Parts: sequence; C-alpha cells; structure tokens
Amino acid sequence: MEQVDVLSLRAAFIQQGIMLCFNGPFSAMLIEEIGQALRKHMQGLQESQSAVTDVFSVYIELTQNIRHYTALRALEGADAHATLIVSRSDDGRYVVSAGNVVLPADGDALVERIAALARLDKAGLKAEYKNQLRQPRDPSAKTGAGLGLIDLARRAHEPLQCSLTAREGGLAFFSLRVVI
Amino acid sequence: MQDLIVEGSGSNPAIRADWEAGCVEMKGDSYPENAFELYQPVIDWIESFLARESRPLRLQLQLLYLNTSSIRAMMDMLDLLQGAHDGGHAVGVEWRYERENERVAELAEEFREDYTFPFDILAHD
Repeated sequence: MEQVDVLSLRAAFIQQGIMLCFNGPFSAMLIEEIGQALRKHMQGLQESQSAVTDVFSVYIELTQNIRHYTALRALEGADAHATLIVSRSDDGRYVVSAGNVVLPADGDALVERIAALARLDKAGLKAEYKNQLRQPRDPSAKTGAGLGLIDLARRAHEPLQCSLTAREGGLAFFSLRVVI
Repeated sequence: MQDLIVEGSGSNPAIRADWEAGCVEMKGDSYPENAFELYQPVIDWIESFLARESRPLRLQLQLLYLNTSSIRAMMDMLDLLQGAHDGGHAVGVEWRYERENERVAELAEEFREDYTFPFDILAHD
C-alpha cells in the first residue's frame, strides 16, 4: 500500500473547501457524534439556525439512508462503508456529498428518481413530499418511506446531482451532492 | 394506564405522557435510525387514552429537528388526534419554538395545514 501523504491530502482538502470528511464504516453512534460536531462548528461560525438545521438535516438523511440501504442489501466490509464530505463552495454555500456501494439496478433507480425530482419546482416538491408522507407504511420498513430524497431536494438550493460508476465485481458506486 | 416516560438523548426527544393530566410532552431533537421503535409506545398510549377517556388530550411539543422517519411517526400520532376530533373528542396541539429557529415553525406549519383540530404554533424568545 502506498504511504499516506498527509500533506497532499491536506492540500486537496483546502483547495476543495472541505471542512469535514469521513470514509469508513458508519455506526449510529458515529453519525450522532459527527453530526453534533458539525452543528457546533457551524454555530461557532455564527451561521443562522436555519442554515445549521439544513446542513445537519441533509447530513443525517444522507448518512441514515446509507445505513438503512447497506443493512437492507446486507452489504458487508468495505462495501458497507460510506464516504461523507461537507465542504463550502467558492460562493460560500455548504455542500454535503455522500457516496456508497450499491447494486447497479438500485443505482439506476436512484438516478432516475433524482432526475424526476430535479424537474419539480418548490410547490411540486412539496406536493410530492405530502403525497409520499401519505403512502401506506410497510410495518417492517425502518425508513421514512422514501421521504428522505424528497426532503433533501427540498432543502437544496439547486437540483440534486448524482453519479453512478460501475465497479468490478458487479457492484456500483453511487454518490449524491446536495448544495444548500 | 401508566404514565410513559422516555429519557431524552442526542437523537431522541424527552417524552412524558401523563394519563392523569391528559397530556403528552415531547421535547428536543428527534432523529433516531428507527423512529417507530421509539414512537410506537407513544402511539399506543395515545390510542388507549382516546379509547378509554373522554377527557381532553393535549400534545405539548418543543421539538426541534425531526428526521423523515420521525416526521412519519408524528403524522401517525396527529392522525389519531384528528380521528378523535372528528368523533367529538377535545384534542389540541401546542408547538413551542424559539423565534429565530424558523425551520421549526415551517415544519410545524406543514403539519398544521393537514389537520382541523386546534393547533397552536407559539414563538418564544
């Protein structure tokens, strides 16, 4: 394995405005701890309560979605790892990006769903949200019944962007970028 | 029926359901991974209160951030209140929030627009 080059990683973080990043296995506890750290950091920057809530909420939905998904598909080891990056764009917006390994068919469905959400305006997203909220709940399902993506789209300042990259071994890597 | 008390933690709100007072209080953030595990006992408690008592039931909320699965669980609780209200049972929600935390007001407002029972959203400083 190549030696870890801390200096060049640091330079890349700075250049891309990365405030926080994580790569590895996420536990519920870790999600909570990192989330609290993110909140405190933003409060220290004197951000408005709304900005802090939006970034925190996007972070929570993204990471919990990944946890639910990897459990649902029984992914293990490195395939269950998540990559999470919080950064600031050149114009000062917060950007939360996350990625994880998915089955290609699930990835395709996500890409399609995100494209459909991107076509909706604020009112359309709200209607879709209320509609999804009223869908019958599968008693064994742990998730917010597909509400997560719509919630992300509603909090985002611009349409969600995603990418899907095929990997060797029949799996794919999905990543999602939310500009707040 | 017993009172129901759930200690708050980082991702769980503090919950207190008081049978004698006819009141359910929830306070704090709510983003557990499995919101129904947390809220099912509260949903059951509300259901039995409404079935056995004719006294009013109040929900006093000081909830801050709710993840989407908590929102779904909250809707189930409010649906129970709506059903009771439609049957003539006095129910009401009071949701208090810090004035500068406008996301909380927006969240409460989105709930309120789906219901017809008394639902107050109160800002404090």
